[in-house]
Formats: sequence, structure tokens, C-alpha cells
Amino acid sequence: MHEGKVLAYKRINRDLLSGLFENQLRYWAIVMFLGLVVLVAVVAAGFMVNRGVGVTGLNRPVFWGFFITNFVFWIGISHAGVMLSAILRLSKAEWRRPATRAAEVLTIFSLMTAVLMPFIHTGRPWRLMYWVFPYDFQRGIWPDIRSPLVWDPSAVNTYLISSILFVFIALIPDLAVIRDRSSGIRRIAYSVLSLGWRGTPRQWKLQAIAGILLSALILPVFVSVHSIVSWDFGMAVSVSSWHSTIFAPYFVIGAVHSGVSGVVTVMILMRWLFRWEEYVRKEHIDALARLLIVIAIAWFYFFAMEFIFGIYGQEGDELATRTLQIFGEPWGWWFLTFIITAFFFPVPLWLFRNVRRSFLLMTITTISVNIGMWLERFLIIVPGLARKQIFTQSWHTYAPSPIEIAIVVGTFALVLMLFLLFAKVFPLIPIFDIKEGQVLKDEIKIGRRKVPAVIREE
Amino acid sequence: MPNLPPEQDKVQVSVEGRELSSLMVTREVSRDFFAITPAYRRVLLILGVVFLAGIIAIILRFVDGFGVSERAQWGYYSAMFAFLLITAGSAPLVAVAFRLTKNHWRRPFSRISELYAVVGLLSLLWFLPLMALLPPIEGRKTLWVSSNFVGAPLWWDLFAVMFLVICGLGLLVLSAIPDAALLARTGDGGVRSRVLGAVAGFWRGTDAQWRWHRLGLTALGAFYFMLLIMVQTLINVDFVMSLVPGWKDSIMPAHQALAGLQTALGCVLVGAFILRATGRYRDLIPMESFWAISKILLALSLLWGYFWFAGLITFWYGRTPVEQNVLRTFMFESYRVPFLLNFFLSFLVPFVLLMWNPVRKSVIGPTIAGASVIVGAFFMTVRLYVPAFGIEDITSHGLATVPLPIVPDVLDVFIILGGLAGAGLIYMLAIKIIPIMSIWEIKEGLLYQRVRPLLRSRYLVLGKPD
Amino acid sequence: MTTQSVLALYTNADYAAEAGEALDNAGFAKEDYDFLTDTPYPEGAFGERHSSHRLYVFPFVGALIGLTTAILLTAGTQISYPLVTGGKPILSIPPMAIITYEGTMLGAILFTIIGIIFESRLPSAKKRIYDDRITEGYIGVVVDCEEDQVNTVEQILTQAGAHEVRREEA
Repeated sequence: MHEGKVLAYKRINRDLLSGLFENQLRYWAIVMFLGLVVLVAVVAAGFMVNRGVGVTGLNRPVFWGFFITNFVFWIGISHAGVMLSAILRLSKAEWRRPATRAAEVLTIFSLMTAVLMPFIHTGRPWRLMYWVFPYDFQRGIWPDIRSPLVWDPSAVNTYLISSILFVFIALIPDLAVIRDRSSGIRRIAYSVLSLGWRGTPRQWKLQAIAGILLSALILPVFVSVHSIVSWDFGMAVSVSSWHSTIFAPYFVIGAVHSGVSGVVTVMILMRWLFRWEEYVRKEHIDALARLLIVIAIAWFYFFAMEFIFGIYGQEGDELATRTLQIFGEPWGWWFLTFIITAFFFPVPLWLFRNVRRSFLLMTITTISVNIGMWLERFLIIVPGLARKQIFTQSWHTYAPSPIEIAIVVGTFALVLMLFLLFAKVFPLIPIFDIKEGQVLKDEIKIGRRKVPAVIREE
Repeated sequence: MPNLPPEQDKVQVSVEGRELSSLMVTREVSRDFFAITPAYRRVLLILGVVFLAGIIAIILRFVDGFGVSERAQWGYYSAMFAFLLITAGSAPLVAVAFRLTKNHWRRPFSRISELYAVVGLLSLLWFLPLMALLPPIEGRKTLWVSSNFVGAPLWWDLFAVMFLVICGLGLLVLSAIPDAALLARTGDGGVRSRVLGAVAGFWRGTDAQWRWHRLGLTALGAFYFMLLIMVQTLINVDFVMSLVPGWKDSIMPAHQALAGLQTALGCVLVGAFILRATGRYRDLIPMESFWAISKILLALSLLWGYFWFAGLITFWYGRTPVEQNVLRTFMFESYRVPFLLNFFLSFLVPFVLLMWNPVRKSVIGPTIAGASVIVGAFFMTVRLYVPAFGIEDITSHGLATVPLPIVPDVLDVFIILGGLAGAGLIYMLAIKIIPIMSIWEIKEGLLYQRVRPLLRSRYLVLGKPD
Repeated sequence: MTTQSVLALYTNADYAAEAGEALDNAGFAKEDYDFLTDTPYPEGAFGERHSSHRLYVFPFVGALIGLTTAILLTAGTQISYPLVTGGKPILSIPPMAIITYEGTMLGAILFTIIGIIFESRLPSAKKRIYDDRITEGYIGVVVDCEEDQVNTVEQILTQAGAHEVRREEA
């Protein structure tokens, strides 16, 4: 049963490291294009810093617009990684194997991008640095820890540090594989990174425990991060439609909805780009889609509860805000687009096995979810703020300026570009995990049928 | 393998060497099912007496006063209804959810879980008097948007509870049909085997029948899940939140639903533990099942704390007069004692216990945590439903004062005990009509497990059909 | 006498397990030899020694340190800058709980990472016998022995079906 394993493993190494050792024109063309978009965003941000935030569409009373929406969106995407890899590791789902690392890496890059947004949003990023680390013994002014805006960096930093270390620990055995395949400076670099890994049973045992233990520790952090982001809004009594107790779990489940969809999109993209037809298979996408159905329905319940309790109070200002959100110009159209793209278009389609197993349709539906979820955040933030003041003369609406659009588009290119660059240096599919799957794979014969089985270690 | 006579199709189900065969499963369940021991009769008698005392207490309460203006003294009664709904109503979800996710460890738990559906009959009866106690929805906040909504809220709540009960019973009966057919054949030829034979006589176990059976269980299960969340939401809003002026708390219904999921695991753990403690089915309910379910209980308990904190921080931060009074009433002043008990038993005790691997990997550890969350859920209903029924001026703009706590009197105690005993009585009667072990599911499980060698050691191999 | 390391490469996991058995029979202690693989085999698959670890202590120590630091930081900043905001008490517990929670988790996770690396006996600066082909699926059996035993060891390893055997000074 273990004959011929060597050959098979050689091939797994070759296939999964092809991104590192081969240079494809297609790959570099895409990276260059993304780099160009990022460059445009950088120029736009520079222009904004130079001229001031007046070049954005932000004005009284809507001071949170595209940037903050985008911040919440990328925090949301970052939730896919840990949620997928941690929950699937803990539940020992076999089909997790090709997906975990891509998901974790997506977490890191989207989180980094998310952190960029408030920095850009301030218009004077260096001052924000002083605000985040103002520990200052001379003047005796300390940060107000009662403010959700201080909770936020503490949660995001914890999450970012943990996710980076989580990915690193799971990378060590794969770094050893690359070390053994490379020479020169590259070999030295990977030798240092792999910390002298040899693959003894003790090391493997700890690697396995690490996966479980870190998953269990990071899961509670992941829940806290988006909850705290939601409290940036939920704590405010003054903006009707924001002060809702369900905001925290509603944001978290929404983040999972958009994040898992993001992982599916990215996995299909990588499959195409690196020709991983044998590793990212139909059954993997199918399983993810079934998970997505459950997540989407749970999200819809929380969405409905949030909405119903918006009108439950029958308070004039809240009803007015909701009316604006759903029927007002131009929000009504966006609301319709949001609810269709985030739920009513993709979810019924996922009920069909043929859709779940079609890479094209899954790409379309998962991108659709993320269009919807981006709009969802936008519709939570802007219409509420537009009617924040009691007096009609201080109501105002908001439209993004080209500068904001350029920066937001740039963040999408940035995440994708960083992701692709990562794939040039590290394997995106955990090699050892795939090999472990091969070792644990078994079959049980029941009558005439062979049922796939797996060896369970407890 | 299937061609062998039943005695020989023994399957090793644990690395330590525990073996099971289809025949052993059938024999053990059948023997226990048809035996009616003196101990069983004694339990029935005790439960019956306490239940009767509860009914008498309810009648005395009626004599005391009944109606919208008298509802304050019915607070504990309504809490008991909510408790039955949260626990027994949610318990079938263990079978439903883990059947959908195809977990093998669920098999011995499935029927224990589904059988709780019969308690729904008691919940339904318990609900009827509540219909006359709920004040009209004019002039207060309500889920039904306007008081013109036909039949709102009572009739819709009644329909919802009724559908839930019917759906739960349907799930139970459907799941039990193959076992009923089997027991009718292997049985003692008495009344029960003849009845089972009449009901399930059509079942022959053809391919088509099994296919429909599976499809039916999936569809009914998914429907039950969604219905239950909806019913919990409706009941929570109509019987708690809507009775407290100015209280708008969107996480509360979801929190109650979550407490339901938590106690569902608790109910099953306690049930399985009692079975094992009385010397039944030790081979059929392995420790691994307790272990597997304990991880989920730990996660749900953490979620309980999280939902609670999400509600707390929003109100604490908002600091409007209503928010402060709501917090004082339901958590920190009037009902501090039930709140603290609720908090400890639903969150801290299971969390601290189940955090430890050796505790999780035992039979008694998860059971204690399970029992703890059940009792915790009881205090949750007390701290929510009792004060909500005690508030007089429900049409004012907001909760202006913190009401004084309503302490249970003797009748309340008997009503609560009677409710618990009634639930127990129905359950105990049901296990002699439908076996408490899902025979077909455990047998199906035997098909998918093997112990096989890999190099120098032996491991459990689990099959996962798609 | 110097200690020698012998490395045998196997193309078949069964042979490697056999080599381990043969070493046991020849009187070698389980601590003297180790298996090198590129795949996590289930525990005990090679009949290897059972290794104990104290990884579970690390997150608790980390959590405790994180908790203490976070409580001191949040309580300290509130007390030393007593500014009332939004009618909340100067020492507000719920917001403290949030930051304390993050601090606790960060401490726990950082210490777990340290624990994993430490318990895996990494990073190992010492150059130890190894072969690049192990990450191609070959299974390595490493034996640390005295110089006079090297020939015996090599013979045992070869008999078990080794593809290649070589030695190095440990």
C-alpha cells in the first residue's frame, strides 16, 4: 500500500511548488497589472495627504464613507481564514487540506489592508500613529480605554500577530521541503526560516497539537475582532439604526459569509493560475458551498433580526432612517442590489449540486456575495450618518470622489497582488497536509460499494 | 460481510478491542424495551404523583386569580413554559444537526434526543392558559408591527408552537419506523409488539424505503431547525420583551435560541448518562460520543457568554434610562440571584470544566456540564419571564422604575416541580413505545467503522459516505 | 570514543518500521534512534517511543501574564487620567474586560508559539545528519551509537531493506 509513495510524493512537491520554481508569463503579467492599480491608489492617497481630506466626498454629517466601509469589508474577509482553517481542523474535516493555508494567508493580507484604511481615512496618518501609541509619562494624558476606537486596535493587532504566527508554524515543514529543493542564498534563507526541521515523530506530533491548540485559541479572538469592529458603530446612541445589541454576532456571521466566499473565489483563481486541478477538486468546492448555504441562512436570520428590531421600536427617527435605507434615492437601488447579490441570487443556486460543482458558477456566485456584503457595510454606515442630526438643515448625503474610488479599487488589487507574491515564495497549499491526507486515506467495502474512509487518531 | 449470518458479523469498534454486532444491538435494545421492571413502575409512580401535585397547584392558582390583570402571579408558570420549550423543544436538534453533518458519534444519542419531542405535547397544553394571560398589543412595542395584525400575537404563537410539536413528533415517528418494524418481529408478541407491527408493518427495508426515509429525515430536520429558531424568537419577544416598555434588545431572542442549543446537548448528555448509570447500553454509548459532544458544548457555552456580553456592553454603553433600568431589573438588582446562577451555570461552570482535556474526555465531566447548563437555562427563564409578567404599566414610554422581585410561593414551587415531573413522565412513557436507542442508526454505524493496522499500530478507520 | 550518527533511507514505510523493530531486538533503547519523515504518520505507526511534552502549560502561563499586564494597563490608564466620558465611571469594568480579554489571548497565543517551537526542540543550530531526499518521501532512520557499534547498526539497517546507509560524526 505504501509502495510507489516516493514517486507520488515527488510529484506532489513538484506540483505544489511549481509557483515557486517556475516562471510563468501569465503570473507576472497579472502581478504587473495589479501593481499598476496599486500604484494609482498610492498616487491618489499621496494626493489626498498633500491636499487634505477635502478631495474626498466626506462632509458634514457623513464623515465615515468609502474608507471605513472598506475597512469593515476587509476585516470581514479576514475572518474567512481562521474560521475555515480552525473550525475545519477542530472538526477534522478531510476536505480542509487544500484550503487552509490559502484561507489563513488571505486573513493576513486582508487584515493588513484593513488596518491601512483608518490610517488613510484620517488624512494625516502620522498623527494616528501618535494616537494609537500615546503612552506618554510627561503629560499624563492616556488613551481613553472606554472608547471602542481604542478597543479596535487591541483586537486587530492581537488577531494579526496571532494569524501571522499561526501561518508561520504551519509553514515550517513546508519550508523544509523548499530548503531541500533549493540551493545558494535561497537555501540559506529557507534553512533559517525552517529552523532546522527534520521531521521526527516528536516534531510532527507537536505540529499536529499546534494546529488544534492554536485553532482553539484563535477562534475566540476571531469572534472578538469583528464584534469590536461592530461596536465602533453599535456603541453610538446618536446614530439611529446603529445602537443594536445584535450587531456583534451579526457582523461576525456577515464576515464569515463574505470571507468564506472570498476563499472560494481565490481558490478557484489559484487553481486556474497554478494548474492545481488535482488538488482543488470539485468535491472541495462542493463542501465549501454546502457550508456557505448554512452560513448564509444564519446570516440572513441575524440580518432579519437586526432589521426587524430596527422597526420594532416604532421610533420616528429610526423608521425614517430605515425608509431612507430601503426606499430612498439612491440607497434603495443599492439596497436591492445588496440583498439580491448577497443572498437571493447565490443561495438558491447553491442548492443545486451542479452549481456547487461548477467552478465558473461558484466564481460568479461568490463574487456576487462579496459585492453584496460590501454594499451591506456601506448601507449600514452612510444612510444612518446622513440623518444623524435632529435638524433637517444639517442632513446631507454622500457620494465618493474619484480619489476614494481609486484607493478602494487599489486595496482589492493590493490584497490579490500580495497573495500572488506570497505564492511565489511559499506554497499556498500545505504540502505536508496533502501528504498526510494520502497516508490517512482508506476505504471500507460495504457489499459491492467502496466507501471512502479515513484513519482517525484520537 | 453482509452475507454472513448475524452472529458472525461482529465488528471491532474500538482499538482496545470492543466488539459489536447487529444482533447484539437488536438483542440488547429489544430486551430493555420489552422489560417493565418494578423500578420503572416506581419512577412512573413518583413522577405521576408530583405531576398531579403540580396540576393541583395550577388549579389553586386559577382559584387565586386568572386573567390579564392577574398575570403577575403567573410569572413562574410562564417561565416553566419557556423552560420546557428551550430544553425539550431544542433537544431533537442533536439528532437533526449531527445527522446532517454525518457524525458517527451521534448515533447512540439520536433517539435519546428525538424522544424529547413528546414533551412538546405537555408544552402545548401548558401554553393554552398563557393565551388568556397576555395583554392586548395596543399601545406597546410589538413584533407584529401593528395591533391590526389579524390573530397577533396569540393565535400565531399557538400555531407556531403547534407546528413545532407536530413537526417534532413527525420526526420522531419517521425515525422510529424501521426500529418499530424490527421490534414488532423480535418482540414478545404482546400488545406493544402487535401495535408496533400494525403501525410499521409496511416497512420492509427496501432500497426505495430507505431512500425516502433518509430524505424525509433530512427535510423534516431542516424544517424543525428553522421552525424552532422562529418559535423561540416569537415566544421571547411576545412574552418578555414586548411586556417591558421601551425594551428593544435584538440579541435577546437569539440568546434564548442559543441557550436552547446549549441545553439540547445537556438534555442528551444527561439522558445518556442516566442510561449508562442504570447499567444499560454501556457498549452502545461509548465514551467517545460524550467526548465529541463536550467540545460542542464548550463552544456553545463560550457563545453564551459572548451573546450575553454583546447585549450588556451595548446597554451599558448606551446608558439611556430605559437601558439602565432594564439592566438593573434583569441582571443587577431585582433578579440578581437568578441572574448570577444563570451566568455561573450556563457559562462559567461548563467553560471552566470543559476547558480541561481530561474532564472533557470522560463520561461524568460532560454530564455535569450538561446538567449545569440545563439548570442555568431554568434560571434564565426565571430572570426573564417572571419580571416581564410582573410589570404593570406596559404601555408607558419606557421602563421608569426597577420593579421589585417576585419571590416564588409554595404554589409556584409545585407548579415548577409538576412541570418537570410531567415532562419526565411523558418521556418515561414514551421510551416503552419507541426504543430509546436508534437501532438502525447504530447498525448503520457498524458498517462504517473498522479497526485496521497501519505499520506497527492499529487505528480506527471511519467511512464517510457522500 | 566519539558518538556516530547513522542514517538509513527507506523507500518503504514498512521497511523503516521493521528497522526500528530490529534495533529494538538488538538491544538499542528507543531514545537511540529516530524516524525522519516528510509526512505526519499517525502516532505510534512506527512503534516509536512515546514522547511526552508540556505544551499545555505554555498557554496558561501566557494567559496569566497577558491578563495581569492588561489589567494593570487598563486600570492604570483610567486611574491616572481621570476624565469622565459619557457619564461612565472612572474605573469602567466592561471596556476593561474587552482589552483584558485581548491581552489574555495575545499572551496565551504568543506563549503557545514559543512552547511549540521549544517543545519541538527547534531551532536547532547544530548540524545533524539529514538527507534532502527525506522530503521526497524517503523515510529516514537515524541511529546515534558508539563507534564500535556502527558496523552492527549499519548491518541491521541494511538488512531491513535500506536503500542507502551512511554515517557521520555526531
